[in-house]
Amino acid sequence: MFIDIHVHPAFYEPINTDPEMEELRHNTLDIHKNGTASLEHIFNQMHCAGLDYQCLLPEDYNTRQNGRVLVGNQEIRKLVNMAPDKFIGFAGVDVYDAKACEKLEEAFTDFNLSGLKLHPGHQHFYPSDEAARPLYKICEKYDKPIIFHSGFSWEPDTLTKYCRPDIFEELAATHPKLRICLAHFGWPWCRETAMLMLKYPNVYTDTGALYFDCAQEFYLQMLTKDVPLTWIDRSLRHQVMFGSNNPRFEQIRMAQAIEKMGFRDGTLDLIRGQNAIDFLGGLPEGGRS
Amino acid sequence: MLYMESILLLTKKYNEYTIITPQIRDIVPKSGIENGMVTVITKHTTTGVTVNEALECLESDIEVFLGRLIPEDYPYSHARMLKDYGSTAGNPTGHLKSLVAGNHCHFPVVDGEIIMGGAQDVYFCEFDGPAHRTINVIIQGGE
Repeated sequence: MFIDIHVHPAFYEPINTDPEMEELRHNTLDIHKNGTASLEHIFNQMHCAGLDYQCLLPEDYNTRQNGRVLVGNQEIRKLVNMAPDKFIGFAGVDVYDAKACEKLEEAFTDFNLSGLKLHPGHQHFYPSDEAARPLYKICEKYDKPIIFHSGFSWEPDTLTKYCRPDIFEELAATHPKLRICLAHFGWPWCRETAMLMLKYPNVYTDTGALYFDCAQEFYLQMLTKDVPLTWIDRSLRHQVMFGSNNPRFEQIRMAQAIEKMGFRDGTLDLIRGQNAIDFLGGLPEGGRS
Repeated sequence: MLYMESILLLTKKYNEYTIITPQIRDIVPKSGIENGMVTVITKHTTTGVTVNEALECLESDIEVFLGRLIPEDYPYSHARMLKDYGSTAGNPTGHLKSLVAGNHCHFPVVDGEIIMGGAQDVYFCEFDGPAHRTINVIIQGGE
């Protein structure tokens, strides 16, 4: 079982029928010259990477974008419906949207999405802010995990001060049953992420970072030096999930690189799949979202 | 006189060799050009267009040769974030294999027919797949 927990479908053809929205997506994410991708191409890419499933993450910054939702919950549901044997869908809401709670309830009940994705750096909130707390309660009510962007963000209009791993400690400590993923290993503050995972078993991370060098070189630095391999292989092996952050980064080469780090086979199996299944609370039945 | 048509491919593998001779042969008569030249040129920089004999053993030899000449595991300068893409350039081998394979080929067109040697086929070479790819076929000449 191999799952990519962190994929952005912003440029998938079925949800790119409006050129103006496509342009907004390029500019908001600062990803260019990539065009749009047919699902057939996405499936080929998954096949080359050896992936069974990938989690599709929405992006809702509508209070900062004149009410326009960059990639919405309905679009995620639409994509999952087109390939329920390959896609797992997450919900997204803007924390400052007056209807955020209502939208999240709808995403979990009507759209049956598998978790919540938030980007504090882009949505400009601290994880312990009052505005976000009702959303955490809803996730606890439905036993759904949250993926937070953490660490550096390439996207324009993002502030790192909202994404440092250590500011998630209060949330982790006060909501021990809420599973949270500090995505991108909190890079470059990977040791802060490791510290939180060591103390809080409800804290996970993913490997969606490739800011320098090639996949193998960057992973060797991040997963064997910044955080020594033995820390992950011995102590954090149940909390690290494979994530590519595709299309920003290279899913196929990252999938190949993770195998070459020197983890025990058992650890690799956890990173490649089982940890994501545990984080999700199991693979959704009858279509995986 | 000039006539152009595109061949669209959806490649499935990281490195892949696809014979496109039949598509080129179909396009040439549509140009209405009786005598001239046909040029086949890829629109990409991590792919190649090359001419060789369509044998499985040669395809294997070419792939192994290029892999030996341009190994994946090498500290290429191109392995870095590209600001104007907003993504990581992890495809230096594709660019370098493209350099070796070349990006186009030419054949004469005589009496409306493409003139090729008996062992010649045109290959589209994918060096950074899977991907959507476009190859332009351009016929220049007179009626």
